Amino acid sequence: MIRFEHVAKRYPGGIQALSDVNFELANGELAFLTGHSGAGKSTLLRLIALLERPSRGQVLFDGRNVGKLARRHIPYLRRRVGIIFQDHRLLSDKKVFDNVALPLMIAGVSYREIKRRVRAALDKVGLLDKEGMYPPMLSGGQQQRVGIARAIIGKPPLLLADEPTGNLDPEMSAELMNYFLQLNELGVTILIASHDLDLIRRLGRRVLVLKDGSMVDDLPSRQVLAGDGHG
Amino acid sequence: MASPRRHGGIEALPGGAGIRAWARRHAYSFLSSLGALTRQPIASAMTLIVLAVALTLPTALHVALENVRAVSQNWERLDTLSVFLDQEIEEEPARRLGSRLTLWEQIAAVDPISPEQGLADLTGQLALDNVAEELASALPDQPLPWVLEVTPEDTVVVSSLVSRLEREEGVSSVVVDLKWLERLDAMIAVLGQLIGLLAVLFAVGVAFIIANTIRMDIQNRREEIEVMALVGATPAFIRRPFLYTGLWYGLIGGTLAWLTVRFGLIALSGPVGELSGSYNADFQLRPPAIEIIVLLIAGSGLFGVLGSWLVVNQHLKRINP
Repeated sequence: MIRFEHVAKRYPGGIQALSDVNFELANGELAFLTGHSGAGKSTLLRLIALLERPSRGQVLFDGRNVGKLARRHIPYLRRRVGIIFQDHRLLSDKKVFDNVALPLMIAGVSYREIKRRVRAALDKVGLLDKEGMYPPMLSGGQQQRVGIARAIIGKPPLLLADEPTGNLDPEMSAELMNYFLQLNELGVTILIASHDLDLIRRLGRRVLVLKDGSMVDDLPSRQVLAGDGHG
Repeated sequence: MASPRRHGGIEALPGGAGIRAWARRHAYSFLSSLGALTRQPIASAMTLIVLAVALTLPTALHVALENVRAVSQNWERLDTLSVFLDQEIEEEPARRLGSRLTLWEQIAAVDPISPEQGLADLTGQLALDNVAEELASALPDQPLPWVLEVTPEDTVVVSSLVSRLEREEGVSSVVVDLKWLERLDAMIAVLGQLIGLLAVLFAVGVAFIIANTIRMDIQNRREEIEVMALVGATPAFIRRPFLYTGLWYGLIGGTLAWLTVRFGLIALSGPVGELSGSYNADFQLRPPAIEIIVLLIAGSGLFGVLGSWLVVNQHLKRINP
């Protein structure tokens, strides 16, 4: 589904965020992306959602080079990718319902359909009773789940999560990961950037390790299960 | 639901196509733009007042000029020629000449004025009532000639009538005071051009006032715009509420300007009525023509859209690399 071929990203000012990154993420796979802060995790995710364009190399989405995608096609790519941010990126002056409904509003889905799907998505993340509240009234974990509901409401085939458990306590983090596993069961491809190594180890899934902008390790799920801890 | 479209090889979500989806997206933008106006009512009101003032000025000048033009046309029509007869012509031949002139097709009316009446008018105008008799006695007999006040027909070319009158027996001179009217016309033409220029300047001003307001609105809603772009909003979708907001600012600003001018005219109608009454004229202030009102409101709406378009596009380029 996703393939990076010799991808490099250099920001103006000479900061080399990524250099010669190669990996492939198969359809229906769930993988973690780890590494120290500043290792390039966020940049890698931003390249997939075309929030940035690569300086060199190719980012392939379903076999298509997204780096060459015309600007007017970008929105349609983003509708195929659900993104979850560490800081939620919810609109604080809009109700939970409207936050979750945003991708569908943009697509021009009918209000009845929106209502049905928002309810279903909020039910899935256990926040059905919070639909009339504003995000600042919710706890960090609840806000994160609203963000997930928004990311999955358009039923995107690919889900990207940037430090989704960054602000959560361990119990909440474990619960959140369970949501991701459930989604993955349903066939959604998921890439999660995280430095919560304990959690990653426990789940025993594929782990991609970034260091100073380079992919230094790619541990398949079994290897992690065997207890070959990495950090 | 319409079949999914493909964009650059990427399949759109269901709901992305079709007239109804289009209408829903527009309804969303429409409501969202009204929200932008009411979210910060004081800031919006201040912008609208600035717009109204900026648009009132050229409109009011235009209305004032149109009214001056209307008055001056009345003056031209009321204008009379003063035909001064030779000094030695007495009452009898003067009145005979007068009645002969009334038969001319070019002439609407002739009003003979005796030297005594002329003197009385003169001293009366100078507020010298008490000295009139003294003056009359001090001056030699018949200081003034007989004068025929000739009112031409509306359609007559005044200059040709003047030369015909001057050829008449016993006519000393014909005085036409049209020069100042010509100058007034020229002045009105110059002012009209000036107001046209001002209107262009103010239209540009309106576009930039609205652009600046929208720019601040964009800065306040930066987060929202980015999130919308992140979840797949097209630039057109993000742009639309701001264009609507610009349109509202323009339309409301233009309407307020029109109302200001209208109320100004109502407030002035009393004093102007008194003024024209004192000249025995029946002059009423004319409101702006319907074309001007439409031009004002639609024009400011258009410049509002233009202004917001400039700012939003500039901002959107930064979001989509």
